[in-house]
Amino acid sequence: MKLSVVEIEKTFGTISAVDKVSFELERREFLSLLGPSGCGKTTILRLIAGFERPDAGQILLDGRKLLPVPPEKRQIGFVFQNYALFPHMTVARNIAYGVRFDRRIDTQRRVEELLDLVDLRGFERRRPAELSSGQSQRVALARALAPKPELLLLDEPLSALDAKLRESLRSEIRRIQQEIRLSAIYVTHDQEEALALSDRIGVINEGRIEQIGTPKAIYHHPETTFVASFIGHTNRLEGTVIGYVDECMQVKVGRELLLVADSGAASGTRVTLFIKEEDLHLDGSGKNTLIAQVKRIEYRGDATVIALVSPLGSLRARIAGTKEDLPGIGGRVTVGFEEKDVILIADS
Amino acid sequence: MRKGWFVLLAIPAGFLALVFYYPLGLILRTGLSEGGRLTLAPLQEILADSYYLHLIVFTIEQAALSTLASLAIGLPGAYLLTRYTFPGKETIRSLTVVPFVLPAITVALGFILFFGNSGHLNRFLMSIFHLARPPVRLLYSLRGIVLAHAFYNAPIVTRMVNAVWEGLDPAIDEASISLGAGRLRRFLGITLPRLAPALLSSAALVFIFTFLSFPIVLSLGGARYATIEVEIYTLTRTLLDYRLGSALILVETFLSLGFTYLYLRTEGRFASTTRGDREIPTQPLLRGPLTIGKWLLLVYSFLAAIFFLGPIVSILADSLRAGGGWTFSNYCELLSLSYSPFLGSSPLHTVLNSFLIAGISTLIALPVGTAVAWFAVRSRLPGRRIIESILMAPLAVSSVAIGFAVLRGLSGSPLHLGGTLLAIALAHGILTYPFVVRSLRPVLEGLDVGLIEAARSLGASRVRAFFEVEFPLIRRGLLVAAVFAIALSMGEMSATIMLMRPGLSTIPVAVYGLLSARQFGAASAMAVVLIAVTAFSFLAIDLLGGREGKGGLRW
Repeated sequence: MKLSVVEIEKTFGTISAVDKVSFELERREFLSLLGPSGCGKTTILRLIAGFERPDAGQILLDGRKLLPVPPEKRQIGFVFQNYALFPHMTVARNIAYGVRFDRRIDTQRRVEELLDLVDLRGFERRRPAELSSGQSQRVALARALAPKPELLLLDEPLSALDAKLRESLRSEIRRIQQEIRLSAIYVTHDQEEALALSDRIGVINEGRIEQIGTPKAIYHHPETTFVASFIGHTNRLEGTVIGYVDECMQVKVGRELLLVADSGAASGTRVTLFIKEEDLHLDGSGKNTLIAQVKRIEYRGDATVIALVSPLGSLRARIAGTKEDLPGIGGRVTVGFEEKDVILIADS
Repeated sequence: MRKGWFVLLAIPAGFLALVFYYPLGLILRTGLSEGGRLTLAPLQEILADSYYLHLIVFTIEQAALSTLASLAIGLPGAYLLTRYTFPGKETIRSLTVVPFVLPAITVALGFILFFGNSGHLNRFLMSIFHLARPPVRLLYSLRGIVLAHAFYNAPIVTRMVNAVWEGLDPAIDEASISLGAGRLRRFLGITLPRLAPALLSSAALVFIFTFLSFPIVLSLGGARYATIEVEIYTLTRTLLDYRLGSALILVETFLSLGFTYLYLRTEGRFASTTRGDREIPTQPLLRGPLTIGKWLLLVYSFLAAIFFLGPIVSILADSLRAGGGWTFSNYCELLSLSYSPFLGSSPLHTVLNSFLIAGISTLIALPVGTAVAWFAVRSRLPGRRIIESILMAPLAVSSVAIGFAVLRGLSGSPLHLGGTLLAIALAHGILTYPFVVRSLRPVLEGLDVGLIEAARSLGASRVRAFFEVEFPLIRRGLLVAAVFAIALSMGEMSATIMLMRPGLSTIPVAVYGLLSARQFGAASAMAVVLIAVTAFSFLAIDLLGGREGKGGLRW
């Protein structure tokens, strides 16, 4: 199974929902489409499923053109945000819906297999109204998997669930995907979910793919300011490249001069810098140092986030666990960070 | 997908073309030609004649007054149902659907029997106050028409406004309280603007209904008061002036189309009201301290009970009276096969005709209405709004006009259906399918499109997805629509009376004939059959979940 999406476009009225989007999905790959609501990620999914027709572009499945194929013949599984379980059918009939007429599949056995897979044995005769939201989504997953699709599309399947359930179902989805060797496209607005689940992530903004890559690449090397912000990097600085010192670039931010790993940008280029919260060291280690004042301390349980006021503006630092020797609010600290930890994005 | 829509639209389109658009075209031709030439002369003749101008003005005037009366009687009811609890509240709320299925001719009969000069109300008042003359003089006047229209339409106001009012998010009121708004400011600034679309919408609807009302004006207006609708009937059935009749139909349709357009525009805004998670707070009506407000509402309830129950109880009572005593003889007469001069047919034939016509017309209205509703909700074809308007156009044409059109359209060769039972059933199909659409639409809209997409991603074709997923989920809606269609057809008199030929009668036409002949016992027994059908359909609608979401039944 290999899916190729080639320059697809879709507009609704005057709004361009999907704007020349291209990407490929390899066999058994788990790709997340990550972006804010309204960015067009769901539309991309619906175009692949066949619920919408693109205005332009091509979608190929193993080299075969998918667009002329009606949705019911595409053999692509779809999991809906609101589950979309048939309310007038039992759990077993919901799961059996896609395989009833497939002679090659023993319906009864398949239903049992899937109930085992999603750990819902004994729920065969329940109606959707009698299920919790977590159970409903597991049934929806089982139903989509029953016809043995090679590609599964998931449209924010966990967004209606509470945080704890979301986490446990998330790992279950990943486990099942790997167990049955499925390719999957997973639409979400939750960057943590995307980072945890995916082989690759495509970050979508205003109908375009901003960047596509492994979670590591997206997190450590965002290529646009949008990706960096959306993935959760909060320390954002604007500056100008002024020259080179010892194989490092010098960037002027306000009145401060910062050392940044060489990115090849020419002097005079206006740049946006991001420093990840966890890369700010409160012990002052690193090539760049500055004095800052503690404004606020938030305990997160497994981490502590310290809001600082510095000559660079507001900064946030995150340290693992809690540290006893933190200065109090209003206290001064020396903040340091390495030149290689600065993410530099040249303004276009 | 597109091809599919065309196949689907073929059902309603073919039916409408044959029974609505072609006949309407004939009327257009008659109303706009003279000696074979196309001309506006008949229209000019009408618009230059002060008699017809008065007629048009009176029709609008009585509709406006009827709308005001309906609001005056209906709004306190909406307030009562929204803000208070009392025993039987749900029953009362359900009952507000009754007038809609209760045939207008029974309302006219009930009004004559109860409010008439020698009706039950006057006789009761005369006996307890020892009066020599009847104190309540309502009938055969504008007041009578307006009140009968209010009887019919006030519950619609109550129902529509109550449905929206109850859905208003109380958090918004609480927000305005927290910002220091007093009761009056809150009502005028916060509640009223959110109710306004519902108020406008219900008022517009009542206005259109009463603008086109026929049986009530015909039987309560006497010789002096005629509306456009009554005049069309007189011109075409009595004077046989098809030319002026057709021209008058054009004028009427033009006006009603304008009103309908306004209504649909307000209705569009109606849907945007935000629903709250919580219900609006209520207080018990009968317990706790008796405030002035409660006292007024109790008086209102008492008067409303008399107003709404009086006419119906009068019909039930009179159906059991003959020759000065209590008897079942009126009902026995219903089963008679012997010719009655008031009916031009036998009573039993009359009753059977009504059931037969209702059955046939419902079999027509259901598939047509379902196809149109489905198209309206699911289609994303360009120009679908225009197609939808074309498919819903019969709503804007009066029943009398449709009856006349069908008469003209189907009488000639090759069909020669004029005056037959089938012609009446076809006309009823035209009149009832828009209501099938209107009761199915919210059901279809409420259905998650994801269900159909889910079915398709699992390998079901669009047709299979309809029959396996949508159909089972709208089955109750379809049953409600069917019951609705049957009840409307059974009570339909306006188009029927236009299409009828001697020897063929239906229950509402018979009721009209009998009350014109002052045969109140027999008329009442006939009317009770209609009331029974109404009661049955009401119960069915109620049990089948017409109450779902309270606003579920829309008009």
